[in-house]
Amino acid sequence: MRLLLIAAIAFSAAALPVPAFAQQSPEARLASYRERVERLEDQDAIENLQAYYGYYFDKGLWGEVADLFTDGGTFEYGQRGVYVGKDRIRRALLLFGPEGLSPGYLNNHMQLQSIITVAPDGKTATARWQGMVMLSAPGADGVWGVGQYENAYVKERGVWKISKLHFYVQAMADYDLGFSRGPLRMEGQSALFPPDRPPTEVYRAFPSGYTPPFSFVHPVTGEPLPVQQPADDIARPK
Amino acid sequence: MRLSVPLVAALALIAVPAAAQSVDQRLDALDARITRLEDMNAIERLQKTYGYFVDEGQWTRLSELFADDATLEIGGKGLFLGKARVLEYMQTAFGAEGAKDNVLAQHMQFQPVPDISPDGKTAWVRSRAFVMSNAGWGLPLYENEYRKGDDGIWRISRLSGPFTMYTNWDGWGKNALNNTWPDKFDPPPDLPPTTVYLTYPAYYIIPFHYPNPVTGHAFVPDTGQVGAYHRPPGTAEQEQSLKVGRLADGTQPIAEPPKD
Repeated sequence: MRLLLIAAIAFSAAALPVPAFAQQSPEARLASYRERVERLEDQDAIENLQAYYGYYFDKGLWGEVADLFTDGGTFEYGQRGVYVGKDRIRRALLLFGPEGLSPGYLNNHMQLQSIITVAPDGKTATARWQGMVMLSAPGADGVWGVGQYENAYVKERGVWKISKLHFYVQAMADYDLGFSRGPLRMEGQSALFPPDRPPTEVYRAFPSGYTPPFSFVHPVTGEPLPVQQPADDIARPK
Repeated sequence: MRLSVPLVAALALIAVPAAAQSVDQRLDALDARITRLEDMNAIERLQKTYGYFVDEGQWTRLSELFADDATLEIGGKGLFLGKARVLEYMQTAFGAEGAKDNVLAQHMQFQPVPDISPDGKTAWVRSRAFVMSNAGWGLPLYENEYRKGDDGIWRISRLSGPFTMYTNWDGWGKNALNNTWPDKFDPPPDLPPTTVYLTYPAYYIIPFHYPNPVTGHAFVPDTGQVGAYHRPPGTAEQEQSLKVGRLADGTQPIAEPPKD
């Protein structure tokens, strides 16, 4: 088959006017198309991986959540600090509720609006996600929340895993009062099970303004998207 | 596959090159299919990026998502023509660049239906935003157009964002904003709204850029009822609502904004 194709191309090149990109051999074209399809498949796999994460996290299936990470993966939620490694992550997740949760818990973390950037070699990726949050715990009022994820992923032996998960809580509020009247502070670092590292970025949630940094480049200009944060009396004085 | 007479003749004349051409044609077809998937990704990415830039007040970067001659129409505010006016609209109506204290304006983007024209140069997305803000809740819809430039980069060429429902923290059972209009806030638009309609509890269906995917039939909304019925269709109450403060075609005079 391959010989026939090469022969065919050789003949056609001699006999016919050839469009510019047909000068590439069929092998070269196929190889390039295979790469493009693989990058699409990578993106699809990462979209699913993050969806798995969300569905496990919603139900407090902490073991399943932790297994989505690489061995040295990191988990960071709001201002709780950074937990490193599967075992530490699995235990830290108990701070959100018991394994499997229990009646009275609502822990929905929707995973929306993905912007996935797969590295050209298909081995690593980053993604931003919109995280809409609806919470409840026994004896507590309902909570609305929203924030963005800025995550990193690694493909190990053909399987995509989370190497960094960072949920930047942007606003949390009492269900009845809403954001303006009932904003809630973020949880800090746990005294019960302290993180391995302090938060990578120190900020306050709404009513303070803060923009989680963008991992992707501008889709039209191709430029990176650094952000200027508003001043904060304590964290970022003018 | 049936072979045409000229193709058979060509095959007879130059058997091997014809086979080669067929391989190239098959590769061309494969390329076109992959490109279509990449293009759909690209326009969905544009729309999601638009949402993130709204969330964070990144107005200059937002305007750079648009083609130079793009149009923008949001709610009942009217049409803004060109990238520069898109920027002016955002900066004037929604404040300075960047995140601000006491402002939460998440425009979460989802449920896209992307389509690419056969020549791969134009695209459309119907999608929605769910707005979660310090002021309350909102449901914009989008029926946008995108163009691929000579540089191979997709840009928004038309953003049409009619509102379905906006309310404060009391919720839509108790409170509903009926729409915006051209002189409700600055800056004024270049042209009046393409369609005047009211939001929930009134009812407006923006035309779909696609036919029903199963039947192939295009759904054409009844313009006589645009924005007009906030009562069950076909009832006397709905007939009455068509005539209150609105033009005969169901639209509402833009010079007389609703008194709320």
